[in-house]
Amino acid sequence: MASLLEVQALEMRFGDRLIQTDVDFRVEKGTIFAIMGGSGCGKSTLLKHMIGLLPPARGVVRYDGIDYWAADPTGQGKLRTGFGMLFQSAALWSSMTIFENVCLPLEQQTSLDEAQRGARAREVLDWVDLGPFADFYPSDLSGGMKKRAGLARAIGPAPPLLFLDEPSAGLDPISSKKLDNLVLDIRERTGCAVVFVSHELPSLFAIADDGIFLDADSKTPIAHGAPRSLRHTATHPTVRAFLAREEPTPVIVDAKKPSTPVLSTRP
Amino acid sequence: MLPPNLMQLASLLPFRPVAFLGHVLVAALGAVRGRWRFRAKDLGRVTADCSARAVPIVTIVNVLVGAILAFVGAVQLVKFGAGIYVADLVGIAVAREMAAIITAVVMAGRTGAAFAAELATMQANEEVDALEVLGLDAINFLVLPRVLALLLTMPLLYVYGCITGLIGGMVVAAGMLDISPAAYIDRTALALDWSHLGLGISKSFVFGALIGMIGCYCGLYAQRNAAGVGVATTNAVVVSIVGIIVLDSLFAICANALGI
Repeated sequence: MASLLEVQALEMRFGDRLIQTDVDFRVEKGTIFAIMGGSGCGKSTLLKHMIGLLPPARGVVRYDGIDYWAADPTGQGKLRTGFGMLFQSAALWSSMTIFENVCLPLEQQTSLDEAQRGARAREVLDWVDLGPFADFYPSDLSGGMKKRAGLARAIGPAPPLLFLDEPSAGLDPISSKKLDNLVLDIRERTGCAVVFVSHELPSLFAIADDGIFLDADSKTPIAHGAPRSLRHTATHPTVRAFLAREEPTPVIVDAKKPSTPVLSTRP
Repeated sequence: MLPPNLMQLASLLPFRPVAFLGHVLVAALGAVRGRWRFRAKDLGRVTADCSARAVPIVTIVNVLVGAILAFVGAVQLVKFGAGIYVADLVGIAVAREMAAIITAVVMAGRTGAAFAAELATMQANEEVDALEVLGLDAINFLVLPRVLALLLTMPLLYVYGCITGLIGGMVVAAGMLDISPAAYIDRTALALDWSHLGLGISKSFVFGALIGMIGCYCGLYAQRNAAGVGVATTNAVVVSIVGIIVLDSLFAICANALGI
């Protein structure tokens, strides 16, 4: 049986510059899959290749066995109804209220009538605790609320796959934790798979079941697996260093120079 | 396959603007056939912004331009004892040229710039990407209502600009030359014919489409940062104003050739 999402031998380039090559992975139903890596390694670009915003230099992106980039525009449109997307900035349409933001994908991707769309929009806004803010405009919301509104918009048409681009970026630890719990709750309620791009270690450890680590130096994926287990099993020094950042580096103040704190690791 | 010399010529074409223009035309044809994808609410919002909210500045600028034309004309015409012809001068100049051009320049500065800034900000905030992921084409959803709003409102603003320009001229004629409003209006009605107004209205349609498309083009293809928004806005205004002047020259040549 075909995987929900399959990326095969993908090569990403920015002009002539190679960003990543030989990217291979599969995402199965109900899995939370993390795309990890340092800044500038191509995580968000990979996401753009998968959601149809940017064709890859080479390789295949398949949804339920159908190659997205080989499909005609009608076929691509049909495949796009199979996923929802939360952008890093939430990307809520600023001229619409939150309610209208959630309703527009329902109008485009479902056959619900206006009353059903309204009911569904209110339902998903309640899931993300934004029911009372339905008539607010995006500019009236905080960063965390925007992310939750973006999530409500993405899950409105009940897609089997959700893409989240750095969902916790710019949020305080409590809001970030709430968002992680919300993602787990949505997976529990809908059974959807989630692909998320992040370098927030607490989120990676808390919610990801599987993942891939992109390396900017070798320009290839260098580890594959759940971040929780990669923390202990990864052999590549970059992966180990990245995931070890979970432990905070202690700050030792040099007693001889009290005015100049010296950063040092414990022996 | 094009011959090599034509291929070289084709390579000089600015493909992105040409492709954008083609895309807008195809989307407009689809809309005419009932396949419009934008929201009526968005069209209403943009139309209100380019009409009612533009009236005060269009009034001020056109009244003053009519008055300036009357001042300049009165000084010269009085020397020949032909002061009454200031009404002809103002009427024809306003209807054929000034109301259309001045209104278009004002709209390029306020509405074209606003379109560019809004779409560039949407681009920077990934709002345009969010539409495309949903399968909504930015040209259909964002550009078409804006261009359509300007196509609807520019001719109305042109007519309004003509009236306010004539009022500006009439006030100066009454103050400087003691020409009564009734005589001024009578003389204006004699001087103007439908070809002047038709030419002006045609220009206002074309200028409206130009301002809308340039504003949206600059916004949609802006760089995704704050500086990009500023550059897009500046480009939209500068290119629109230059485009208005160039198109007006073409109109003048065509009108001359056709004897209008």
